[in-house]
Amino acid sequence: MSARHLTAVAGGSLLLLALAACSPTPSGDTEAGGLVGAGTGADCVIEAEIPIAAAFSLTGGAAQYGSSQKNALEMAVDDLNEVGGVTYALTVEDDATDPQQAIQVFDGFISDGASIIVGPTLSNTAKQTDPVAQEAGVPVLGVSNTAAGITEIGDYIFRDSLTEDAVIPQTVAAAVEKYGLEKVVVMYSNDDAFTESGYQAFAAALEEEGVEVIETLTFSKTDTDFRALLDKAKQSSPDALVVSALVEAAVPLVTQAREIGIDAPIIGGNGFNSPALIEGAGEAAEGVIVGAAWNSASDNEQNVAFIEAYTERFDGAPDQFAAQAYAGMQIIDEAVRANCSGEREDIKAGLGEITDLPTVLGDVTINENRDAEHEALVQVVEDGKFALLD
Amino acid sequence: MFEYSSLLTFIALTAILAYSFYAVLIAGQLSLAQVGLASLAAFTSSLVVPNEPLFGFIPPLMVGVVFGMAVGAIAAFVLGLPVMRLRGVFLAIATLAFGEMVRIFLINQSWTNGAQGLSFPKLVGIETAWIALALVAFWFWRLSGSRMGRAFAAIREDELAATTMGINVPRYRMASFVIAGAVAGLYGVLFAHFTRFADPNQFSFEAAVDGLVTAVVGGTTFFVGPLLGSVFLSALPELQRTLGIDAGWIRPAISGLLLLIVILFLPGGLAGLIPRRRSSTRLVSDPAALPQLEPLPARGTEVMALRALGKSYGGVRAVHDVDLTLATGEILGLIGPNGAGKTTLVNMVTGVTVPTGGSGTVLGIELAAKTRAHQLARAGIARTFQQIKLFNRLSALDNVLVGGYRISRNTMLRRLVFLPSARRFEREAAAVASAQLIRVGLGDKATTAAGDLSYGDQRRLEIARALASHPTLLVLDEPAAGMNHVEAERLSELIRSLAADGVAVLIIEHNVRMMLALCDRITVLNFGEVIAAGTPDEVARDPRVLEAYLGAEGDAAATAAAEELAEVAAEAVKGHDGDAAGTEGAR
Repeated sequence: MSARHLTAVAGGSLLLLALAACSPTPSGDTEAGGLVGAGTGADCVIEAEIPIAAAFSLTGGAAQYGSSQKNALEMAVDDLNEVGGVTYALTVEDDATDPQQAIQVFDGFISDGASIIVGPTLSNTAKQTDPVAQEAGVPVLGVSNTAAGITEIGDYIFRDSLTEDAVIPQTVAAAVEKYGLEKVVVMYSNDDAFTESGYQAFAAALEEEGVEVIETLTFSKTDTDFRALLDKAKQSSPDALVVSALVEAAVPLVTQAREIGIDAPIIGGNGFNSPALIEGAGEAAEGVIVGAAWNSASDNEQNVAFIEAYTERFDGAPDQFAAQAYAGMQIIDEAVRANCSGEREDIKAGLGEITDLPTVLGDVTINENRDAEHEALVQVVEDGKFALLD
Repeated sequence: MFEYSSLLTFIALTAILAYSFYAVLIAGQLSLAQVGLASLAAFTSSLVVPNEPLFGFIPPLMVGVVFGMAVGAIAAFVLGLPVMRLRGVFLAIATLAFGEMVRIFLINQSWTNGAQGLSFPKLVGIETAWIALALVAFWFWRLSGSRMGRAFAAIREDELAATTMGINVPRYRMASFVIAGAVAGLYGVLFAHFTRFADPNQFSFEAAVDGLVTAVVGGTTFFVGPLLGSVFLSALPELQRTLGIDAGWIRPAISGLLLLIVILFLPGGLAGLIPRRRSSTRLVSDPAALPQLEPLPARGTEVMALRALGKSYGGVRAVHDVDLTLATGEILGLIGPNGAGKTTLVNMVTGVTVPTGGSGTVLGIELAAKTRAHQLARAGIARTFQQIKLFNRLSALDNVLVGGYRISRNTMLRRLVFLPSARRFEREAAAVASAQLIRVGLGDKATTAAGDLSYGDQRRLEIARALASHPTLLVLDEPAAGMNHVEAERLSELIRSLAADGVAVLIIEHNVRMMLALCDRITVLNFGEVIAAGTPDEVARDPRVLEAYLGAEGDAAATAAAEELAEVAAEAVKGHDGDAAGTEGAR
């Protein structure tokens, strides 16, 4: 290689050198004992600030979810810092809805000494980032990952978001009881991780309840015209339509179903759990049944206060992503106070012992698989609003 | 593990993806199939990567890499069969469609776990990624100075000129496609085994565009380009993060702005910033370095025989019923007014255009529908073009080196292992090219880009390029256009010396005076047919020739030619009165 080629390589490395020069030195917080305080529970006092890091999708495809997660988490940290005794220093980073970015963000958090990492927003990103934290021994709390196989990554990985596997059986059971369903048509988009795992949960739950699936129809998440599929579904006159789709597909699907005269109830997955469904589909959304981890109509005291504070601070109502992020911080606080320590190992141990902790989501328990358990809410659209299905 | 190990690994992996785009871009092709090929390789490798080393010593990753590269290369080949005939944006769309097909296919397979994605064991770390990158970069570094590398560059610059230099364009385009496929396969396997998880939706259109942008921003004219592009684009978000720019829309906006600046102000990409010689090859003027070239056929050997050859486009007969022969050592002139069919005729002779009537044999090859220009070129025909067709961004010497394609050897594999013979062959090829460049008087402009040369110099460079192939039959299409009398005379000298060496020369030229003085025989075409043929003397005195030129009204060149013709004819008549060998003597 000639001298000039060497110059070329040297020039190429310049950016990297600049990076190395700018990189902040990791804080001494991770040194043993630095984050351990005195007392337990409400009396716990820790001198140093506990570094909490969060990776959310603030730009890119999932930006709309990431921003409400960020808002709620910041609000939760402010609220908890006011309580006193323990203070949290929150860093929120953007993963740009790109797993590559997310891995780098996780790397940065780990070397900067974060006590726990919250996030990332999307499940498929979590499958790539969480092993990094697991290897480094840093606990992760997912607040929106609902796909299967997340907490299986390792014993440092927790989540407070109910999986589709947890919500859907409750939804199906409630709907079967209410409407006496016997035969249904199932429709789902098979090119999305979220809707596909939702479909699998539906299929299992329907079998469990002994409901006959007359037909299973698939479409793409980018489709907007479902008339042909719906005509086919209508011919078998099902007792209900069971649909696993994102809200972008849910709106036209529901609207067109009503247009061609399908009056049977439509049971949706978590993708349907969005105000956008009611706004987009209007009248047609009436009678849509959705199971959810959280509902704005829930009369849980904490939840009412949360909705009020959030709406005032951010000039808009919170969604499920916000609620789960807020609850996540409540769970972390409980785990920290349990052992009165912000050390990674202690937080990990504390998270494993969360039982019936009252949060904005209701009473949350972290089970032996490090997944959250709490009661799901089955809702039905009535008069242009999500109401609880009784 | 340290803070930037993931970043550094991604830089290496992204650079490998960019090299996959680079591999097709250097041959002038725009393919967006790369991430589709990577995806295919990554997912299929999950079927074969063993848990334990194979036979106890082959690491599982090695199995995956070899398999993935093979899958990438084979898939690229199969894709290439139908789409290789497409160019530019059509190729881009076809390859894009392929990527989309792969994505949909993989989503609907049960073994890929569909849209929910598949977990992979972590087998790739920062070292593996950079070793792989170093090997890929090494390959492209060695490629850039080889005959294969020059052929790719020639195809990128001008396919038609490349094919008339003996380069089998479809085969080389396919080769670049397959190389790109193998590199894409390597990327796919490494990527999945580093991130531990892949779902088919990750290998999307956006990912393809990102890879393309990385390659283009880095630069496609220098082998370090993809690496620079990857460093630039991968480090930008991290750099902004460390500089403390708030997370959110502002970061992508800054990245976009910087990207725009690079594209606007650095047309050669980031690699264009690196100061270096325009050409990696230098003039070799040492006569001892010249290789022993195969002798030309004996003087008087017939190299071209056309019988009633014709070409019609629909009802228009551009050329018809042309009978023509040419032997080595002979200079045959082809004249006639514009639109007479001269260029169509030489296009048929050089295999660029397929004849529709009659038959012809050139250097033992039948002119048929299946005859390709590069076959004729390899048999020993070389040509220049009426509309100059140089490889504009290559240096003058590199242009001539491409001309030497026919008589040089492929050195790629030898270069990979630094065999001394690679150096020797390259030096021989450079010596041949240098000699031709000096012969046409461009020795001092060897490193100038062909596109920057003056018109006359470009004409001469085209001739040098044609000569570098050591042709048996040289076809010159208006070589003296744009030259003054002194230059034209020097060109005539050159052509005479070639004929004296035993080269057969077929020349089209509007400079009638020069043609009458230069050629052994002249054939005159008008409206696609031969109206006169014979010695310059006979042709000059043939009234039909003058008529043909006078008939082409409104054609300044034809009028000038007619005037010259009349003058020469008058001189010839005078000469005959005094000295019977007058015209002949001027030769």
